[in-house]
Amino acid sequence: MVRVMVVDDHPIWREGVARDLEERGVEVVATAPDGAAAVRIARAVRPDVVLMDLQLPELSGAEATAQVREALPDTQVLVLSASAEQGDVLGAVRAGATGYLTKSAAMEELVDAIGRTAEGQAVFSPGLAGLVLGEYRRRETEAPDEPQLTPRETEVLRLVAKGLTARAIAARLTLSHRTVENHVQNSLRKLQLTNRVELTRYAIERGLDVDE
Amino acid sequence: MTTADVSLRARAHPHLVPLWRGLVVYRVVALVAVLVNAVRFGGAWAHPALGIAVVVAMAVWTAVSSARYLRVGDPLTACLDLVLTVLATASTLLVDTPERVAAGGSVITTVWSAGPVLALAIALGWRGGLGGALVTITVLFGVRRALDADLLFDAQLLLVAGLAVGLAADTMRRSVEKLRAATALEAATAERERLARDIHDGVLQVLALVRRRGAELARVDQEAPALELARLAGEQEVALRRLITSAPVAGPDGTVDLSSRLAGVVPAHASLAVPAEPVMLPVAVVDELAAVVREAATNAAAHAGPDAGLWVLVEDDPAQVTVSLRDDGVGIPEGRLEQAAAEGHLGVAGSMRGRVQGLGGTIDLHTAPGEGTEWEIVVPRRRRSSWSA
Repeated sequence: MVRVMVVDDHPIWREGVARDLEERGVEVVATAPDGAAAVRIARAVRPDVVLMDLQLPELSGAEATAQVREALPDTQVLVLSASAEQGDVLGAVRAGATGYLTKSAAMEELVDAIGRTAEGQAVFSPGLAGLVLGEYRRRETEAPDEPQLTPRETEVLRLVAKGLTARAIAARLTLSHRTVENHVQNSLRKLQLTNRVELTRYAIERGLDVDE
Repeated sequence: MTTADVSLRARAHPHLVPLWRGLVVYRVVALVAVLVNAVRFGGAWAHPALGIAVVVAMAVWTAVSSARYLRVGDPLTACLDLVLTVLATASTLLVDTPERVAAGGSVITTVWSAGPVLALAIALGWRGGLGGALVTITVLFGVRRALDADLLFDAQLLLVAGLAVGLAADTMRRSVEKLRAATALEAATAERERLARDIHDGVLQVLALVRRRGAELARVDQEAPALELARLAGEQEVALRRLITSAPVAGPDGTVDLSSRLAGVVPAHASLAVPAEPVMLPVAVVDELAAVVREAATNAAAHAGPDAGLWVLVEDDPAQVTVSLRDDGVGIPEGRLEQAAAEGHLGVAGSMRGRVQGLGGTIDLHTAPGEGTEWEIVVPRRRRSSWSA
């Protein structure tokens, strides 16, 4: 069973989501009301997935994400935010979150997203795809040295942003479902490369794997 | 006009007060020069009594006009100043002998006559300064009747002073207006962020919770009213979130953010994917794009079917902005749009196409029965941002 931790500063919401998740057979091992507590508690309970709000007291959701990911590389972070602050979402994704849902997502969607996040897949809402596309467009002109999207990855992300499922994208581009997932995941991974070592490793991998 | 009237009147441009103060100082100093000139050459005047009367009138007018300039600084006083000053300058012909004037004797008003040129420049900008200088030069020429070096020198000084002070006043007026707009925008943005925070902390959370709990109740106990409640709360939650992010982000040069405008246009159930940075475009372009998206969304709601979803994607490139709309409804049969156009219904496609072409852009439609409808609208950016060049 997937072990989840819910981080949100709003008690009604936090307890409500925790209860709903448990009713659907997801194990909620901890909750936390702010970013600092989230990092502390996560170190102790080692959840599989942290459900992270963005606007948190003490430590922002993005900073808490970065610290959780650094301390616990096996713990995945799924952002669940009521915030439409696009910059915050992008910040959390760059800090290592592998997915993003708004709080208006249906419960089935959330449970499904938690399952996929636990398996290490990227959970892309169309909104997140739009943000990630925008970030790479900005890079093209402002930071051409940083990793860019391949034309194929751009194509896939655009279809995600237009609401197509991975299966529909695979059918349209005549790719395998698995390849589509890989493209989506790579586009996130490249955003998360921040230090020189990671970038060098990425460059070497790309050099060895140019026919992608 | 009484003093009370004057002081009650709101000053149109309070930031020009330093220029008016400078003018008043100049006028008083110039009046001293007039007095010195009158004492030195008054003995040789043809009509000393008239000369003294003119000088006294100039002193009185200096006091009256200075008070007006400092309180109101209106163009009307500046115009009246020009008329009276020109008359005073022309009176030299009566006060002094024409021979002395033609021989290079100074006019009775001396440098005092530059006053209205500066006043007009401050009140009306460089055009006022130029006009005042030309009138004053013409009158000087009429009095002196000689195009000598002195006159040319005076003319140059008057033109330069009128234009320079006028341009300075124009610049001050413009920069103050810009500052005012920026301050108002900043205040509006701060207020919006405060509201957004409050709404996020309270109302949004509760609405989301009602929606979630309602849906759970309906799932567990098959309660239809709870489901209805959940649906309504969900719609309001999304609408409210859109509302607090849709207040237009305005740029400095008449541009606004396309993303926040579209947030107010696309229906609550639709997905809107945009870049993190605002997509700044001229207001007119954003208005047209918003109208096109509204038409496409309305059309999708009417034809795609009740369960169809709608997705909108905004992409911002240095050279162009792309807006894509997709619904997963029943789609449009091939040739249906052409047929409608041939039958004379301009319809949605024609109207959208017209708007986009008006912006110099392109619009493409991909559709087939059962495959939904996909619009792709590409609009060129007229001006490239400096960093993208």
